[in-house]
Amino acid sequence: MNAGLAVIMKDLRLAWRDRAGWTTAGAFAMIAVLVYSFAFDLAVGDPRPLLPGVLWTTFLFAGVFASGPTVQRETDEGTFDALLLAPVPPTVIYLGKAIANLIALLVIEFAVLAVATILFGIALLTTTIVGIVIVGTAGFVSLTTLLSTLGASTRARGMLLPVLALPLLIPLLLAAVRATGAALDVEPEAAPWSLLLGVFALWSALIATILFPLAVER
Amino acid sequence: MSLLRWVYGTRWVVLPPLAGVGVMVMIIGALVVAPREAIEGDVQRILYVHFPSILAAYLSFAIVFVASLVVLFKRDLRWDAAARAAASVGVLFTGITLGTGMFWGKPIWGVYWTWDARLTSTLVLFLIYVAYLLARAVADELDEQAARFAAVFAIIGALDIPLVVMSVEWWRTLHPQPIVFRGLERPALPNEMLFVLLVGFGGITLLALWLMTLRGEAERLAQRSAALRAGLDRNEVV
Repeated sequence: MNAGLAVIMKDLRLAWRDRAGWTTAGAFAMIAVLVYSFAFDLAVGDPRPLLPGVLWTTFLFAGVFASGPTVQRETDEGTFDALLLAPVPPTVIYLGKAIANLIALLVIEFAVLAVATILFGIALLTTTIVGIVIVGTAGFVSLTTLLSTLGASTRARGMLLPVLALPLLIPLLLAAVRATGAALDVEPEAAPWSLLLGVFALWSALIATILFPLAVER
Repeated sequence: MSLLRWVYGTRWVVLPPLAGVGVMVMIIGALVVAPREAIEGDVQRILYVHFPSILAAYLSFAIVFVASLVVLFKRDLRWDAAARAAASVGVLFTGITLGTGMFWGKPIWGVYWTWDARLTSTLVLFLIYVAYLLARAVADELDEQAARFAAVFAIIGALDIPLVVMSVEWWRTLHPQPIVFRGLERPALPNEMLFVLLVGFGGITLLALWLMTLRGEAERLAQRSAALRAGLDRNEVV
């Protein structure tokens, strides 16, 4: 437990200090929302039908792009191998990293939601939407953390990760966009999509926790 | 077990003629033997390639899944070669399914592509295994870590498929309902059509197995040549 906390604290400290990772991802997310609002002309008329898609693609891209550089440095400097040598189960290391990534990404996402609330005049920081964002992000961070940690040693990792992760995340994207749409009253039903979102989050967390120790064992 | 090994050992002799004859019979069956469909006309004959192809692709992806599990647990690179071979054959046949489906869709639906549930999930399936091949191709043949990474990806990909199917099914459905596998009910096809379909299924499956054998051998040879090269670099006699 203490080891897990140590990993979380270390990763969060890195996330804060290393400007190449999450800080850049946060800036990217803000700019992406702006770019989308120019491209789709969200400022004019009712932005609600497009807004869930805009938000979730921003979240996905920010998350997927940021998880690459954050582990890259760790692999290059041998921190990851050193972590594996520590007398802690690999599962704890994985969970620590996933939770740190989740916290970092959630901070960015809430900031984006706050900015979008101001820009589009639609209340986005409601309990329902915050809940959807937390569950959805937990679902995709567990997968991207696994893929980026394991893939960090392969060549072409920067470009490869989105290509690998995005097809796997299509069910999550569909469910999250529909559930958010329902929260904004542009989608008739919320129940099946919230269910799918929950199932995806559980499924990905479970699989990643099982596969990580198997994959890193030397 | 020894019987299985014996059957496996005969693959170089048995598979090429069987696959060749099977595919020939399938073509003749689809073009000559099968009756003309009353409403759709001759375009319907695409079904005899379309449906067996997707089954062959499913078979290939099942092999990828099993082989990836073995790679992860046993660390045996021979299974990595098998997984890569099966994945490339699976991608090929998924591509054939998508392609033949488009040529059927144009005259029947009026469009090549539509965002129907089954079309979408097949496209996602295609993308997942193309990504798998890419993930494995960026590292060299003997890179065990990359093999394990690709295996993890293949396992997640296979387990992701039910979720993809579920999500896009809720999203939209337009594809013709199943006519062959309908639980306990009889298939909704005349006997001649069903017979040709079965022949096609045999032919395509044999062809897929043959291609997998070839591809797997090529991957093995690439592994061996990489090992030889590595050995030469260390001035060893291999």
